[in-house]
Amino acid sequence: MIINFDNAATTFPKPESVRRAAALAMEKFGGNAGRGGHELSMRTSEALYSARETVADFFGAQPENVVFTLNCTYALNMAVQGIMKNGGHMIISGIEHNSAARPAAKLAAEKKISLSIAKIYPERQKTLESFKNLIRDDTKAIVCTIAGNVTGQILPYKEIAQLCRKYNICFIADGAQACGIMNIKMSDGINILCTAGHKGLYGITGTGLLISDGKFKINPIIQGGTGSNSESLVQPDILPEGLESGTVNVTGAMTVKAGIEFVRKTGVENIFAHEEKICRRFIQELKSDKRIKIYRDGISEYAPIVSFNINSIPPEKTASRLAEHGYCLRAGLHCAALAHMHLGTENGTVRFSPSVFSREENAVRLASLIKNL
Amino acid sequence: MNNCFAEMPSYTYAVKAAKLLNSRNINCKIVRNDKKCGYSLAIYGKCRNAADILNKYSIPFNIPDEPLRR
Repeated sequence: MIINFDNAATTFPKPESVRRAAALAMEKFGGNAGRGGHELSMRTSEALYSARETVADFFGAQPENVVFTLNCTYALNMAVQGIMKNGGHMIISGIEHNSAARPAAKLAAEKKISLSIAKIYPERQKTLESFKNLIRDDTKAIVCTIAGNVTGQILPYKEIAQLCRKYNICFIADGAQACGIMNIKMSDGINILCTAGHKGLYGITGTGLLISDGKFKINPIIQGGTGSNSESLVQPDILPEGLESGTVNVTGAMTVKAGIEFVRKTGVENIFAHEEKICRRFIQELKSDKRIKIYRDGISEYAPIVSFNINSIPPEKTASRLAEHGYCLRAGLHCAALAHMHLGTENGTVRFSPSVFSREENAVRLASLIKNL
Repeated sequence: MNNCFAEMPSYTYAVKAAKLLNSRNINCKIVRNDKKCGYSLAIYGKCRNAADILNKYSIPFNIPDEPLRR
């Protein structure tokens, strides 16, 4: 028996409609999108465009500004490196995932950009001030997660977006833990939204999205075939193809479309409420055990994620013992060293993350098991 | 000029343009370019009207001189 509470890494199971979309793609849409004039290619191209339209409509963007990527990490690398290609100053939050922090740190180590890290506080205003105080004349971009992947802390992204607009700074938002769970729109002031297709949007693994509002030019970090202007050795700068070199994962895109339709039908607010209810019950069950530390303060808002530790047991050991009983939880640093430095959890935490398919009674059973470790 | 080809910079823009024109009763379809890689719109109607609509919606395109042979 497998009970998955590691949905912040990737959601599983997937909705029936997503599984059907994957099968349909394999049966009917096996052409190479945007690469030919024959029926199979054209049919596949239409399916891909339809997926773009669904994504665009969901986030309030234009279809041509929707770029399909391999995952959120690729999208963030494309955004960070693409915007900062000609240097300048960048600010990232103090709880960024390595997918944003590492490309930024690499550019800084190579002296191509200067980098500042904004300290995060439970109070939204203090966090906002922290970003504001780091802005310089040459600040080109701010990268900020909407909800951190370790504790789920929701950052004041709309206010940070406003700040960016005021100073003409590109606002790159990491929506990996927020999209599909929170109502995220480009009109929130986001210039570039990077997210996974396989988490809260319920697509298959190997899917990600970079969505632009078209205001800031993103230099491509990968060149290659785009299906157009092939006579030129210069990469086209038109979206989305300019950032989609090589064959697009059409099967993946079709599952993202089906996943978004599922999320829409279920309701983003309902999904959040369901998952957060399970998180709160889980916390309530654990609270009686004084050995357990839960990483939620009383001030911040959180996406439905709970990080915890048991005093004397290393997090990996805890996860390993729970796995023996069929429970899937992620332990360790969650590819987010900055976030764990911020929390003071150098050895990591154990992360509990439900999905729309999770059941409260399983969270209660899990809590009971944890208390008996 | 009636009936023409509009070269599109990508398949994505070709679909966007085709949907826009068809919704305004300008008949068109996406075709593969004859001479170079990429896609065009075969527009069956007044090309000037079609061009005005595409311009209004900031959709990039190019209408070469050669008229469409039906």
